[in-house]
Amino acid sequence: MENLMSLILDPLSLSIIVNFGIFLIVTLSLNLEVGIAGVPQFGRVLAVLAGALGAGSIAGRLMALYYGLPWGYEYTDIFTNLKVVEEMNRRLSSSPLESILMLLLALVIAALMGGAIGYVASYPAIRLREAYLGITLLAFGEALQTVVKYYDPIAGGTEGIMVPDVFRFVGAGQARFFFSSMVILAIALMIFVYLQLLLRSPFGRSLKAMRDMEIAARAFGKDIVKLRAQVLIIGGSIAAIGGALWTLYTMSLKAYTYTRVTWTFWPWAFMMLGGTGNNKGIVVGTFAFSTIRSLIFAYKTTLESFIPINPNWLEYILIGLTIVLIAMFRPQGILPERPELPLPRRRIEELRASQ
Amino acid sequence: MLEVLMTAVSYSAAIALAAAGITLIYMTTGTFNFSHASMTAFGLYTVFIFSKVLFRDLGYPTYVFFPVAALISGVLGVITYLSVNRWLLKRRADMVTLMMSTLGVDLIYLALLNIIADYLTQEYKVNARLIVLSTEDVSIVQSGDFVLRGIPIVSVSIVMTVIILLKYILNRTKFGIAVRVTIENPSLAEIVGINPEVVYLTSWFLGGAFAGLAGAILSMVITGTPAVGSLVIVPEFAGAIVGGIYSLFGSLAGGYLIGLSEYILITLLATYVSRNLVVYQPLIPLLVMSVFLLFYPEGIGGLQLSRVVERLRKSVWR
Repeated sequence: MENLMSLILDPLSLSIIVNFGIFLIVTLSLNLEVGIAGVPQFGRVLAVLAGALGAGSIAGRLMALYYGLPWGYEYTDIFTNLKVVEEMNRRLSSSPLESILMLLLALVIAALMGGAIGYVASYPAIRLREAYLGITLLAFGEALQTVVKYYDPIAGGTEGIMVPDVFRFVGAGQARFFFSSMVILAIALMIFVYLQLLLRSPFGRSLKAMRDMEIAARAFGKDIVKLRAQVLIIGGSIAAIGGALWTLYTMSLKAYTYTRVTWTFWPWAFMMLGGTGNNKGIVVGTFAFSTIRSLIFAYKTTLESFIPINPNWLEYILIGLTIVLIAMFRPQGILPERPELPLPRRRIEELRASQ
Repeated sequence: MLEVLMTAVSYSAAIALAAAGITLIYMTTGTFNFSHASMTAFGLYTVFIFSKVLFRDLGYPTYVFFPVAALISGVLGVITYLSVNRWLLKRRADMVTLMMSTLGVDLIYLALLNIIADYLTQEYKVNARLIVLSTEDVSIVQSGDFVLRGIPIVSVSIVMTVIILLKYILNRTKFGIAVRVTIENPSLAEIVGINPEVVYLTSWFLGGAFAGLAGAILSMVITGTPAVGSLVIVPEFAGAIVGGIYSLFGSLAGGYLIGLSEYILITLLATYVSRNLVVYQPLIPLLVMSVFLLFYPEGIGGLQLSRVVERLRKSVWR
């Protein structure tokens, strides 16, 4: 037992848990849109960044307003921001209730922002064909990042802003690290359960019907336009929660870290590895990758001594190779998608026997 | 203003060539090639490596190495086709899988490029992460403040040559007819004895070569970094889409439209509105592309000149 505790408390395992939790949330949302509803979402970074803005910029300002600190235009000024956030951290660290409320507020605002982004994205999603839509969404993601990066009043431009620390009340250092990673893991698992339930519901089944054959789904009276808008809103909200948790965890919001490689292509690789369309596969794929990534990051200097290249590029090659090889040799991923039963298997067999 | 125009013309030529490459590969194999970004970057690095590292002492003009850039990026295209794309096409993978596979290829090429840049920096003591070659350019005419550099003229002549070659190959040669038949109907083309593999392979080579030329032209216009691909991929795709994605000449026109509007609009905005707007330059291709996608998805290639002329004539006659 003691061994287990020390294993969990090890910084490496905690960083694996954080990476796993955050990317599980984002990849699950991607799977909902791509794997289950069949929308080519190449702009996942859009909703993630929106969530980060909701938590870091909007919720942060509201908190400053609540404490009577500067919250308007001057909030993103680098020196004011540092002072304001420091002051907020001081107050938050002594008040667990306010910290938890702040965390919830940040997540709610992030989810609303992500939902709004999803709703906006549904406008081209209804009108454009597959690949065109993919490229349009990709371009939207780039556009938002460019604006946030250069327009200072949103989130401090290239310098970025600090984000108030809602995990501080359990103490600094190791305690905060442990507590925040557990919160992230718990939220990720809750989202997993929610999506599993969603998949089994009539809504989830109509999404799959839409993906498999749009015309047939429409013939059975499904409103494709509405379904697609709904799934983009739900997916956007979930991805935004992932982005929000990441800014809250790192306590900073820097636009240039929200790149399409990290927040769109990597989740795609995780999803393809695990099994597109299967939430359990997503868990496996994300876990495998976040472990490898954390290990590469942790043993960077050791790696550097016996491979001639920078480990960063090793990571790129690894992920690129995975995408290519999975697409070529095992498009269904590690855990292939299986038909979702509307009722438990035992119940179906009982019904069949009684006939 | 004249200098900006010259830079805009050269930059647009690069975007137009790359967009034509994307369109060519998409027309024949149905693959939206994301690794085009890295193929462009490889073109830029080829010119840099040959002119500044390998043959630095010989003092050749930079333009000598443009064909080498085209060749190397073309070979990269062939490698991509033979190792990944061919396999997926045989298994009739869907469009999103094809697109995703080239993304994976792009990440690998990007890593290779970075490894090469690291190696050059270490072994040859050159700054391979910040490449400025525009100072190497020849000046053709010089009057007062204005210097006419070589690159606008070279870039325009490259595009002209490409257009003439494409026109000739597609319309006058047996191979060109085979290409057009394969685009129209691959299975029917096979029945009449055309090998679609040759067509696919050639289009990947030519597509890659166009990307390489684009990179070579860009090396004389912008500052090169290993991440230059992610900078130009959006204008390149915007050019291809504005061109209508089913027409090579449309994509060349689309690339020019995107490139010119990017430079000219931002210069106008910076001069007359605010200098702070310069950083939003990457948004302009997106804007143009969105307008086209939402209001005129057929693109420039879908524009039928004869119909426009007809309508004009009717309205004038009436």
